[in-house]
Amino acid sequence: MPANIFIVDDDESVCRALKILLMSYDFEVKTFNSAQNFFDTVAHDVPGCLLLDIHMPEIDGWEAQKRIVASGSKRPVIFISAEKQDNAADRALKAGAMGFLQKPVNAQTLVDLINGSSKK
Amino acid sequence: MKKKIIAGKKKTIKKPLLKKITRNNLEELVSELTDELNIRKKQLKQSAVRGKHEKEKFRGEVIRGGVREKQGADREKQGENRERLAQEQIHIRTKAMESTFDGIFIIDALKPDFPIIYANPSFYELTGFSKNEVIGKNYFLLYGVVDNLHGIEEIKQALLQGRPFQGEMLNSKKDGKKFWSLLRISLVRDNNGTVTHYVGNKTDTTLMKQRNLEIEVQREELLHVTRVGKLAEFVSSLAHEISQPLTAILSYAQAAQRMLKDREPQLQEILQYIINDDQRASEVIRRLRYLLKKSKPTLETLDINVLIKDTITLMMPHIIAKNKVIKFESDSKLPHIQGDRIQLQQVILNLISNSLEAMESSNDARELLIRTSLKDAETIMVEVKDSGCGIPEKNLNKLFGHFFTNKPDGLGMGLSISRSIVEAHGGHLEAKNNPDRGATFYFTIPVNMKKDQ
Repeated sequence: MPANIFIVDDDESVCRALKILLMSYDFEVKTFNSAQNFFDTVAHDVPGCLLLDIHMPEIDGWEAQKRIVASGSKRPVIFISAEKQDNAADRALKAGAMGFLQKPVNAQTLVDLINGSSKK
Repeated sequence: MKKKIIAGKKKTIKKPLLKKITRNNLEELVSELTDELNIRKKQLKQSAVRGKHEKEKFRGEVIRGGVREKQGADREKQGENRERLAQEQIHIRTKAMESTFDGIFIIDALKPDFPIIYANPSFYELTGFSKNEVIGKNYFLLYGVVDNLHGIEEIKQALLQGRPFQGEMLNSKKDGKKFWSLLRISLVRDNNGTVTHYVGNKTDTTLMKQRNLEIEVQREELLHVTRVGKLAEFVSSLAHEISQPLTAILSYAQAAQRMLKDREPQLQEILQYIINDDQRASEVIRRLRYLLKKSKPTLETLDINVLIKDTITLMMPHIIAKNKVIKFESDSKLPHIQGDRIQLQQVILNLISNSLEAMESSNDARELLIRTSLKDAETIMVEVKDSGCGIPEKNLNKLFGHFFTNKPDGLGMGLSISRSIVEAHGGHLEAKNNPDRGATFYFTIPVNMKKDQ
């Protein structure tokens, strides 16, 4: 069974593009335009890797990750952001995420990271 | 003014001899003095004549009895008394004129070459000329001719038309040193209305000018920093906005490449070009962002009240020009904070100028209030309250976003930068409408800034 990937990004085009890209790698991909939308739809015990944008209105990426950790979910999270923040990669790892990728993301790098997360 | 003196002739002797001298009433005082001098001279002459009369009368009537003798002596004594009082008054007023900080000079308007007939010590000090070099000389020949030909023409025109003059000018001292002065010339008329004297009043405004200039320079610097900050924030937002479609394009292209695996080599090649150029564009943005990287706040110990006062001083010319009033209610017991002086000044400056703009269109909305207080033991609160047009409810949430503006020439960066500065200091910047009118922007700054922020 193909692995599940969830994408949360408020930019519709980014969601669609990443979905098409990951589908070409045979992943099962679902996209959400807000963290709230994701939480409402996907129970935290449903397996699957989450690609999480940081800069979003209302619940941002950091806050979403906090909630995931707080819920006791073991979901692997990869932050994807257009913003180059100082120590964002460190901060992401400290927050319990698998990694941090700056947009635009290279397909192979992303897929390697996702595969790494599922092996873990 | 003349009427008053004549009507109250007797009273004037009894009233306090020395009015408080200020810059404003000095001219009035001098002209009053000149008028009164003339009146007094006449009075003296009259009482002297009367005294003499009485004396002579008394001599003729001496045989008729002692009562009249006493009356005559009294009148003579009264005359002397008046003279003494008048002289005392002249003395005090002369002393007063000599003690002023302003340079004062009097020009004889009846002589064809308008000579200076009096100048007080401050005038000599201000101009660097000595008494010998001033008395009897024409004011315009004395100095200033080289400095300000146009100004002199203006003075001459005013005086020729019988108008007082007032103007600020750059003059030279005798040694050539420049100084700014405010010159005011008033006219002294005799009872017939003929101008007999000009009284000049020269105030040294060099220090004031310098201070204003310094303030202007500081304000410019701050505005420059603000503009650079705006540019950086602008580029950062722009970079973010462009990164999103670049991300999408790259992903689409890479997905297509995978889908065409081992087929359509020409299309594969085209897709590779798209990918390469996408990455090139990303690299440009990365570099641009690096260039305008937001500098981290430089922390120093600050008294927020002093910082606000300084910022108000910088904004004062603006506030006055817009005919607005600023009030500052400061809690003097606030603890010091750790913060970046320039950045926090930017925030305050931004909030003040926004408030001024909100009150721009309304003449009765004039008051801008800044208040500092302790929200709790750990947090300082700064409020900027205006009485302007307020914020439409639907915009309250968008105010702090990038590119949100109501101003025709606004970039929509001011408030978003202000908010990111306040947040970098560990505080919050919010806005609300006042119950009556206008809006209040308020921010908090923690007394002890958390290390991780």
